[in-house]
Amino acid sequence: MKHHFAIARFDKSIILYYNEKACGYLQQESSEGMDIGMEVFQTVVLLKSSFALLGIAAVIALIASGKQKFCNLSVNMICIVSSILMMAASGFIILSENQFVKIHIFDTAIPFLSLELAVDGLSALFLLILSILVFCISVYSIGYISHYFGKRNVGLFYFLYSTFILSMALVFTSSNAVFFYISWEAMSVLSYFLVIFESEIEKNQKAGILYIVMTHIGTAFLLIGFMISYSFTGSFDITGSSQAIPEGAKNIIFILYLLGFCTKAGAIPVHIWLPYAHPAAPSNVSALMSGVMIKTAIYGLVRFVMEFLGVQHTWWGVLIIVIGVLSAFLGVAYALMEHDMKRLLAYHSVENIGIILIGLGISFISFNGGNTIIGSMALTASLLHTLNHALFKGGLFLGAGSIHYATHTKDIEKLGGLIRTMPVTALFVLCFSLAISAIIPFNGFVSEWLTFLSIFTYVAPGQAGINIILIIAVATLGMAGALAAACFVKFYGISFLGLPRTNQAAEAREVSAPMNIAMGIIGGICLLIGLLPMQAIRTIDKVTFSLTGASSVTQLGQGFIDPWISLDNTGSSISPAEIFAALAVVSLLTLIAVRIIGGKYLERRYGSWDCGFEALNPRMQYTATGFSKPIKIVFRILFRPSRKTELKGGSRYQPDEIEYTTTSESIFEKYAYRPAFQQIITFSRRAKFFVQTGKIHNYLIYIFIAVLALMAYNRFV
Amino acid sequence: MSDLFDTLSVLILMTAFVLMANKKVKAYIKTFRVQSALIALSAGILGVEAIMDEGRYDLMVVCVLIVVLKVIYIPGLLHKTYAGIEYRTEKDFILNIPILVLISCSLVVFTYFSFSASGFGVNGSVIDLQLVNTISVTMIGLLFMITRKKAIGQIIGFLEVENGIFITAMFSTQGMPFIVDMGIFIDMLTAVMIMGVLVFKINVTFESINTDRLNKLKG
Repeated sequence: MKHHFAIARFDKSIILYYNEKACGYLQQESSEGMDIGMEVFQTVVLLKSSFALLGIAAVIALIASGKQKFCNLSVNMICIVSSILMMAASGFIILSENQFVKIHIFDTAIPFLSLELAVDGLSALFLLILSILVFCISVYSIGYISHYFGKRNVGLFYFLYSTFILSMALVFTSSNAVFFYISWEAMSVLSYFLVIFESEIEKNQKAGILYIVMTHIGTAFLLIGFMISYSFTGSFDITGSSQAIPEGAKNIIFILYLLGFCTKAGAIPVHIWLPYAHPAAPSNVSALMSGVMIKTAIYGLVRFVMEFLGVQHTWWGVLIIVIGVLSAFLGVAYALMEHDMKRLLAYHSVENIGIILIGLGISFISFNGGNTIIGSMALTASLLHTLNHALFKGGLFLGAGSIHYATHTKDIEKLGGLIRTMPVTALFVLCFSLAISAIIPFNGFVSEWLTFLSIFTYVAPGQAGINIILIIAVATLGMAGALAAACFVKFYGISFLGLPRTNQAAEAREVSAPMNIAMGIIGGICLLIGLLPMQAIRTIDKVTFSLTGASSVTQLGQGFIDPWISLDNTGSSISPAEIFAALAVVSLLTLIAVRIIGGKYLERRYGSWDCGFEALNPRMQYTATGFSKPIKIVFRILFRPSRKTELKGGSRYQPDEIEYTTTSESIFEKYAYRPAFQQIITFSRRAKFFVQTGKIHNYLIYIFIAVLALMAYNRFV
Repeated sequence: MSDLFDTLSVLILMTAFVLMANKKVKAYIKTFRVQSALIALSAGILGVEAIMDEGRYDLMVVCVLIVVLKVIYIPGLLHKTYAGIEYRTEKDFILNIPILVLISCSLVVFTYFSFSASGFGVNGSVIDLQLVNTISVTMIGLLFMITRKKAIGQIIGFLEVENGIFITAMFSTQGMPFIVDMGIFIDMLTAVMIMGVLVFKINVTFESINTDRLNKLKG
């Protein structure tokens, strides 16, 4: 039997090792005997079978691509079963604290390439997020994909879909950097094919190319980071120790990892692929991409920077906070200007990644400063927000998918009045909108509040520089929250309320049951976490504890959270459940009081006052452009708005048509990316004529010179 | 036994020089045939050794394959290909032949210089003459490809590079794993067949087999 040593992070942790070849498990330092052994065995079996099921789903999708309905149903069913197994496995691991499972699947003759899965608390948490979302999205897909029947290759779609899920699960569980890298690349490539699934649309192709280019640039940084790390430690094991790496190299590796992971996360300023790629993909895929795929970057940052490298300098945390602040504010600001609902949601992903990064940054700074309790609280906040964002953003993308399914448009200026035709969808989208705007009693509030709290508690005298950063972070978080609420008032108000602006909106019908059920499940979980925040925090805290050895949950007071600097004070606390109950009771009482005191009131029905026009029509309503105009004016330095009014036909005083166009520019694209792309294109054009001449002899000379140079290198070095 | 291999490697290097000094297509093919026969001879001697010492037969199989493919089949194929093309002698070179032979000499010196410092190959720190000679064959083959303008030159050059790499590997490892040898043969055979077909295509498209004109295909 080969020897693999699992590394113990803490004294009490139970380290278990399972080897397939030995057909058994080796148990070291177990304190509870065989029971835990059996539990690990179960976990291993659950995980393996869930991964195997995803593989089977992919095969079935390809085989049965001729029978679309069968393929749709069977693949989704398998994915649902697989996600339930994965949920159970990750649940086991999270709840049994400090458990660390290694599954050895196979070795290859190629050095460093062996498939070994390592699942600890952190991996399990991300697997849990993945499995919850996969469960719901697979239920949703049963209904949603029906609009592809007869038009597109459903089998191909499901092959990509199930392998994409599998690749993400492998990213979360790989135990060595080589395999992590391979899964990461597989994830990028598969998601690229899903982005360009509706490939005949030119916009999608462009989005796909931008996405694959950006994601490869990011991956290149990661690869360099892994290589540097390997050159010092001599190992690709990601659970290993980084002691051999000198300080300077650690700084470089950190920067490389940060760049690489932020590109995947879509943090500003490397976000540009995100608002193009998410709208291009089918909605269930956007939900998966926005909900889970961009979170692989958060996983990477925690796993590779926090756990492997160990936070070394305060400026690491400060840098992450700065990126977080930029993303949170600019993300929501750009979201406000969007009328394409999926682009709007994509920009909100940028914003929420910013919030997660702010939490992570605070945690970095605190751990570096030795304040482990706040560090663990901030990490909990950040991980909880990761979970929450996956839920409500997944839900919102599904909602957007339902609207697109029913109306065939993504432009909210063409919607309106959907609350009457699609009441169930409207209800759930409202839930998610409240959650993303961090409003009680939904889950978004819990994690954002916890982030606020960790910032407030870390502000202390004697660290002026950091305090300023923290205060800016608080201000940005507040600002981002307010703007997000405004943005979702716009999104919800324009698309669901009022009168339908087009026939498409007027003829919309409620979507099929699976789609609504899926959104209902996510909505239910959002509400549950919002009402019982302590349960969610405790669960995440177990993960944080197993990672860092510090727990903050005991410090959080009796009710929900205690916003005092001395953390054990139990004086003031917030309980969303109680607030929600109080709100309900007060509204009910008010209603009853009004009825009793006011007595009977008269009801008279009139049409709305129409300023003397003949009749109100949908075009008199508030538009999305109009709604966001004040904000556009306030932040004109950011948006660079311009407008153009054009009169057509007739005389100047009585034109037949007036065309009004507004545009806003993205400063990053204009001043950073376009010039850079232009340079690259110019360079490539020149290279085409001078290097790539088309003469076979020149190419042979290149090879010849390269070989000679290598031989000279062999002599001198 | 080492002296014998040294001699063989020098002979193979000589054929490379002869090839470089040639300008007739028939002579190209003949020289290639001789070179391949020498390689087959080396493989045969190594093979006999292997049978005597270890009882392995794979090197003998390789020897037979070299004879069948490189001495008989491929030269025959090339003769057939060029029978239909009105072109017998290489006329315009990038550099003239005496200069090319001098450059080839300096390549051998450079290779010697490059390998004189490294403890490379089976003989450890002693300078491995066989290695220097056979790698020089590869480099001269590459130079041959560069300096010949017609497609036949490219094909012969490619085969010479392949021969050089093959004999280098064989001398430095005393016989590679059989599966690697087989892989190389199949690769080479496919490459030659494809090139044979392509030469026809080039001839039909451009009414010439001048590879200079391929840059017209560039977009």
